[in-house]
Amino acid sequence: MASVKLTNVKKIYGKDTVAVQEFNLDIADKEFIVFVGPSGCGKSTTLRMIAGLEDISEGTVEIDGVVVNDLQPRDRNIAMVFQNYALYPHLTVFENMAFSLRLKNVPNEIVYEKVTKAAEILGITEYLTRKPRALSGDQRQRVAIGRAMVRDSKVFLMDEPLSNLDAKLRNQMRAEIILLRQKIDTTFIYVTHDQTEAMTLGDRIVIMKDGFIQQVGTPTEVFDMPLNLFVAEFIGAPKMNTFKTKLVCEGDKYYVNPYGAKIEVTGKKAEMLKGKRIGSREVILGVRPEHFVLSSSDNPEAIPCKIVVNEMMGSELHLHVVEDNGDKLIVRIPTVSLSDEQRASLVYGSTIYVTFEGKVMHFFDPETQANLLV
Amino acid sequence: MKKQNDNKIRKTGLGARASRRISNTIIYIVLIIITIVWLFPFVGILLESFKTETNMQTPYLFPKEFGFDHYVKLFTKTDFLKWFGNTAIMGVATAVLQTIFILSMSYVLSRLRFKGRKALMNMMLILGMFPGFLTMILIYKVFADAHLIEEMAPLGLIIVYCASSAMGYYVSKGFFDTIPKSLDEAARVDGATRFQVFYKVIMPLSKPIVIYTILMGFMAPWGDFVLASYLIHENSQGMNVAVGMYEWLSRTNMNTHYTMFCAAGVIVAIPVVAVFLALQKYYVEGVTGGAVKG
Repeated sequence: MASVKLTNVKKIYGKDTVAVQEFNLDIADKEFIVFVGPSGCGKSTTLRMIAGLEDISEGTVEIDGVVVNDLQPRDRNIAMVFQNYALYPHLTVFENMAFSLRLKNVPNEIVYEKVTKAAEILGITEYLTRKPRALSGDQRQRVAIGRAMVRDSKVFLMDEPLSNLDAKLRNQMRAEIILLRQKIDTTFIYVTHDQTEAMTLGDRIVIMKDGFIQQVGTPTEVFDMPLNLFVAEFIGAPKMNTFKTKLVCEGDKYYVNPYGAKIEVTGKKAEMLKGKRIGSREVILGVRPEHFVLSSSDNPEAIPCKIVVNEMMGSELHLHVVEDNGDKLIVRIPTVSLSDEQRASLVYGSTIYVTFEGKVMHFFDPETQANLLV
Repeated sequence: MKKQNDNKIRKTGLGARASRRISNTIIYIVLIIITIVWLFPFVGILLESFKTETNMQTPYLFPKEFGFDHYVKLFTKTDFLKWFGNTAIMGVATAVLQTIFILSMSYVLSRLRFKGRKALMNMMLILGMFPGFLTMILIYKVFADAHLIEEMAPLGLIIVYCASSAMGYYVSKGFFDTIPKSLDEAARVDGATRFQVFYKVIMPLSKPIVIYTILMGFMAPWGDFVLASYLIHENSQGMNVAVGMYEWLSRTNMNTHYTMFCAAGVIVAIPVVAVFLALQKYYVEGVTGGAVKG
């Protein structure tokens, strides 16, 4: 167990390809932190710098107060789980898990004890004599996790460990990682491109783009108060709807006018706008798909639009709709809230009216894309 | 109309089958001829070695009388055993050293990134295109000064075979390139040094290419004549089998030693064939594994 501190970490490949820059982060002891972002954002590179598999171009990485920049991976007391499992194909599951202990010449009895204990926790005891090629994807990933577990290392690094699994197994393993975390109680740094994994696993999430940290916060913080448009669109599925509109300040009330509708900003958001003394201006308005509700043509707050795709997800409907101007929106409606007639009417080409409440809006600056309320 | 079409299809089918049969027959005839032409020298040498005559002018292929006289004479009346021993020692030493050099070089070029890596690879590729004997005069001069000729020539030859062997890194580098780098990384995080990664993880996964490299190294000295004869002169104690046996084919010796030459050829083939047969399964895997995936 250990804290990890990254100070002004930068990674440059070749002469001028910058992969990570200005990376500053304090990871507390026993914290589960998730690096998330699209491909090429520098999340895996940062993890690999912590592991010692990539040189650090600038800045420092500290583990438990010790600068580890020049230490070899083996001297950092870390464990790592790789996306493609990286199991040694010529060794049995037992020997794969015992590999690090054998290198340290740990006595056989202790090796046996540690490996069997980890195998028991992970439910792979019956596979200990098999070679990795005789295992399924999730079993292999369990072995990879087991190999990291037996080391009792200070920091547990995981580089997209679930990406190679199918959707069902991914959900199952995700839940198991949450349980595992309770059992081994160490510092975790987890890399993923999947925002659902990030939201469900992390104590805090680090959202990255183009080598820069965009926001660091708890899942609730990044979901409710994204610092910028990128974070707002990246976190949440389906992604947040955004459209340019005008924020109108009339007396002490605020309105927005998306597509001709007039919707009043209410609740905490209205208080914050007042507090920040924001006047009438152009904004990018963000509304999450689940915050839309079906309405009717006589509602002045309703936006008329046409259904182009209807995705039945079981518990909810994802309606891809096109507004009169051609803007596309995604509306998420719980199926339980719909009558049979309503469900039957939500088909390709039909016109529906949608609106949203004034307290669920997000406002971004069209130029800087920063959240106006932060 | 339909019937006509059916007939047409049936005829076309029959025609296709017949023409395939004819083309297969021609292909097999050609292959059989090529096989006979290819096998003839080997079978010929084997049969000649059992003849009791000594010259090569016998007008028949199968011996009229089978005998092992030449084999006995080889080991009792000539220095063949010495030459065979010299070559075997060279073969084993070259196999061991070459394998170490080639695999180390290939692993480094496959895994490490350092300044001048590409330039080094290109340079070795270009240097490898020059015929080896261009350097013979210089090698002779250096080795003569170092007393590595004549009786000591086998040691000199081992040095020559091994010194430039790392330039033949392509096949094994291609093989190493197919082993995921994350295995190296996992092992390094697990606590292994670079060398431990090499021999505990990469080597066990590279059996085919290790076997291939050993085979290549072991076989090289058995057929080397040009450089070997240059360094050995006529010192019988330092000869390898190729140089030693060549003497028997000179105009004066031809009629008295030809069939013994054949017997020696058969004996020389034994260790090479034995090693090859024992390791052939891995050898094929090694050649194709490296070439196709790399």
